[in-house]
Amino acid sequence: MTTRLSLLVLLLALCPIPQIFAQTPAAAPAAAAPAPKPVPITDADVAGAPVPTADARSKGDPDGSLTGTAGDVSATDPKKGVTIGDLVNQVGQNKIAINFVWTLVTGFLVMFMQAGFALVETGLCRAKNANHTMMMNFMVYGVGMLAYWLFGFAIQMGGVGAVANLGGTPPLSAEHAITLFGKPFGLFGTNGLFLVHHGTYDVAVMVLFLFQMVFMDTALTIVTGAAAERWKYAAFIISSFLMGAFTYPLFANWAWGGGWLANLGANFNLGKGYCDFAGSGVVHAVGGITALALSMMLGPRIGKYTREGKPNAILAHDIVIVLTGCFILAFGWFGFNPGSTLGASGNGGLRIGSIAVNTMLAGMAGSFSAMLYMWLRYGKPDASMSGNGLLAGLVAITAPSGFVNPVASVIIGLIAGVLVCLSVEFVDRVLKVDDPVGAISVHGTNGLWGVLSIGFFADGKSNYGGSWNGVTGSVTGIFYGDNGGQLVAQLIGIVTLVGFVFTLSFVFNLIVDWIVGQRVSAKTELEGLDIPEMGVLGYPEFELKSQT
Amino acid sequence: MILVGLVVTLLGFVIAILSLSLHSVGMQLVVVLLGLAVSLFGIMGILNKHYLKTAIWKKG
Repeated sequence: MTTRLSLLVLLLALCPIPQIFAQTPAAAPAAAAPAPKPVPITDADVAGAPVPTADARSKGDPDGSLTGTAGDVSATDPKKGVTIGDLVNQVGQNKIAINFVWTLVTGFLVMFMQAGFALVETGLCRAKNANHTMMMNFMVYGVGMLAYWLFGFAIQMGGVGAVANLGGTPPLSAEHAITLFGKPFGLFGTNGLFLVHHGTYDVAVMVLFLFQMVFMDTALTIVTGAAAERWKYAAFIISSFLMGAFTYPLFANWAWGGGWLANLGANFNLGKGYCDFAGSGVVHAVGGITALALSMMLGPRIGKYTREGKPNAILAHDIVIVLTGCFILAFGWFGFNPGSTLGASGNGGLRIGSIAVNTMLAGMAGSFSAMLYMWLRYGKPDASMSGNGLLAGLVAITAPSGFVNPVASVIIGLIAGVLVCLSVEFVDRVLKVDDPVGAISVHGTNGLWGVLSIGFFADGKSNYGGSWNGVTGSVTGIFYGDNGGQLVAQLIGIVTLVGFVFTLSFVFNLIVDWIVGQRVSAKTELEGLDIPEMGVLGYPEFELKSQT
Repeated sequence: MILVGLVVTLLGFVIAILSLSLHSVGMQLVVVLLGLAVSLFGIMGILNKHYLKTAIWKKG
């Protein structure tokens, strides 16, 4: 025993761990030496920069030291060789190239979220509606994109002005505004129809279009979940087109396209105006609130409520694909939030690190608190609500992700996880609105919570080029010394979502109801929508149980 | 009843916009919250109640 103990002590003494963690004492400051005089670089210096010889390159470059050198900087005048002007232009193009690549790749991640939504929604519905639910999630991508390309992008971004991180987007310069209380109220943009109108056939505009398009599609696919298992396919197509062309772009213009909500700070001294970093309000609340309007109109599925109005649980048919879908969505969210910087270089682009960490922390906190809530209240850690808790945390952190610190992110996520459970119970039992996947609570309720949380938790430490929404300084909430103006701006955004976006969505869907009817017949619903609406079963070799 | 519900819901939004004519942040906060309450009443108190009256589960 003593020998073993001695060996252990010896090992610990020789172990390098203490040295790794020990802080190296700071070296004594050297005697102050005179600062070297700056030496100006001349064109001759640049032209004389060493370039690897063709002979050296022909032997390969296993360590990468010969690839990407001065020889790769193009000279505008080959006779003069590379000048300082060429060098500076190359630096500028590299910065914008980094931002283009960052924005495009994060946009590709967001596009993949469509697959996550498809799995979550289809898994939470019954097997007899699998084809129909999957097809709505699949085609919402194309229908939404068409609407957005035709009208939506111009309405949303047609007047946004120069987006510095993308090298400026000057063709997007026409915002229609009215005057209210002596201030301009931007209502919608007008440049950018079909991506050719008014010089919008432009590389930076294309990057912006791709990124904003996939955000819009995320909002549209939220609605398909709430209306699943009873929504006519034809009605889905028309309703989604209207949302992608008008409802979503209008609110997105007000928040992100230079519209009146963004300018509440500049025009009415309310903090930095309505702030929504990556779209808790613009994307998720617009989707969730439209889902509420449509679900109310459609009514609950047959068998969801007893004649006394008590809710019945209609179980998910495949929890495996539900949770797989949640993971895909959490992965895509790393595009959603960090990508919303529209760049990784310059103007605070390095905040992408903290935004990504805030995102994952809030998602974790949301799934954890939802799981605990369900476990304590119902005796089991419910799988679908744990998944919804993850999504609720991610939805809630979407707006504040660029303005808050990690501790606030965890608090926001924890609250979101409990809030989604309470909201699902409220919608189900009090409102008696049938939402098969919990979209109203995940995206609507927690989208609003995310928007509100900025008014409390924004820590004033972010710096995206010295200002936000045209107001100098950083976004700050009341917990960090703001006078409440930011909170008021956020609340005005929330009332706009609840009061205006709801009404517009409702009216559009009433029109769709009058034209083609929103709900399938009772016979179709009982049979399952796959054969009557789509012509093919999602699972043709399965024997489906007859329930409701 | 649908029209009434929609008008009340939209009225809440108009109340929130009107708060911008005030100069005190505290007063703005109160008026915006009032607007939110009005909009929520329009949705939950009028529109949803209207649809619940003819809900499919009441038809038996």
